[in-house]
Amino acid sequence: MGDASDGDGASSPMAAEAVLRASGLRKTYGNRLPFGRTVEVLTGADIEIRAGEVVGIVGGNGSGKSTLMKILVGALDADAGTVETSGRVGWCPQDELLYDRLTVRETFRLFGEGYGMDADDVESARDWLASTLDFADYLDYRIDHLSGGNRQKVNLSVALMHDPDVLLLDEPYTGFDWETYLAFWDLNEELKAQGTAVAIISHLINEQERFDRILELADGTLTDVTDDGSSQAGDAGVR
Amino acid sequence: MSAGRDRRRMRVGFEMAIREFVREPINVALLVALPPVMITSYGSMMSAFPELSYMSTAPETLGSIAGTLFVAAFLPGVIGLFQVISARRADDRLALAGFPRSALFAARLLAVTLASVLTATLSISVLSTQTAVEAPIPAVLVLAFVGVLYGLLGMSIGTVLPRELEGSLVLIFLADMDEALASGIVDTDSPLTKLFPLHYPHEVFQAAVDGSPIALGDVLAASLYGVVLSVVTLGAYEAVTARGGEGR
Repeated sequence: MGDASDGDGASSPMAAEAVLRASGLRKTYGNRLPFGRTVEVLTGADIEIRAGEVVGIVGGNGSGKSTLMKILVGALDADAGTVETSGRVGWCPQDELLYDRLTVRETFRLFGEGYGMDADDVESARDWLASTLDFADYLDYRIDHLSGGNRQKVNLSVALMHDPDVLLLDEPYTGFDWETYLAFWDLNEELKAQGTAVAIISHLINEQERFDRILELADGTLTDVTDDGSSQAGDAGVR
Repeated sequence: MSAGRDRRRMRVGFEMAIREFVREPINVALLVALPPVMITSYGSMMSAFPELSYMSTAPETLGSIAGTLFVAAFLPGVIGLFQVISARRADDRLALAGFPRSALFAARLLAVTLASVLTATLSISVLSTQTAVEAPIPAVLVLAFVGVLYGLLGMSIGTVLPRELEGSLVLIFLADMDEALASGIVDTDSPLTKLFPLHYPHEVFQAAVDGSPIALGDVLAASLYGVVLSVVTLGAYEAVTARGGEGR
């Protein structure tokens, strides 16, 4: 587990202001048809993420991790509860929500327009991310012509390109090769140092020291298992 | 938000919608191949139809005109449908990034309008080989208008029924029935037929082909229909998509 202080004089994430706060989140997936199943996913989840903090969110399959993240980012309405964020939010969904027939370059341009970025800022963010995550050779490739790993790099880069204050990542390194995986964590360290709050959803957390806190989603609520250990991680024997 | 930024977003959204469309070869193939196939097929099929007392035009010509209106409506309708459905989840992400839903809607509608103009121009060219078109410019305009009407319908259907197969089936049945009722092939006096999208455009188009005077009432009624449909479609699009991607 990372120290609360980063050792270079920066302030501790634990003392920093919360940039994302959600409380009492409830979500049930219903079915309008008779005899359909109703699934209660969140039953009152609370979460707070501070500037410069890296938080891991773990949980079993179907525990509601992605539902939680969609609610936090505003892609899905909760049945109850509140979400407050300060600053820009970046979201890397588990599925690559990109336009298949656009090139990587065009994808940056389109999402840059969404974020309200100038053309120069889009270009410099694109080139920096392409260099950092090693997809510079594929800028003129269509998204549907990329390998799964490269698509995921673009998916992640779209979440990062506008320099967000809060970054919500759902299984962000799926399909990455080892070099890219390491580059991702280096990038994460840079973001943390500049005060970006990062929440990462993962089935398994096998490098616990990279996180400031680990929260486990089980039975619809979040529990801090940083010191106690996650039953999910513990069951899998990867801690 | 500056007007300049809005315009730039619209332009980029439109450009990307067009790029996405033309990079799917089947889209381009349909756009080029369907008008000649449908117009000549409808004409050939109707040539065997007896000339009945209530018909004002020869059956073969009636068939060619019906085929022209059908293809001018159906193709942009399908394009509108697919524009909304195929990019639905990426659109949700783009909207979350800050791209206004209304700009996204307008960009998609502009792409549909461009496809409508192309389909209308090609369709009139094909119809001209089957029968004389006395007033080609009004004829192209009304066909392009029909394309936009059905493009809006396709977008509406795609918004409330985001499934490609089911949406296409609804659209094809609607366009086929609509044109059959509007064409006069079926002798009906029911006022309900006037509620269908092609009723008034068909009257205007028929007049443009015949060279008879175009009734202002038909033009106004068709325009009013277009305005109402635009408002309803935009309202449905914003209401449904604002609920959150997975909530639909």
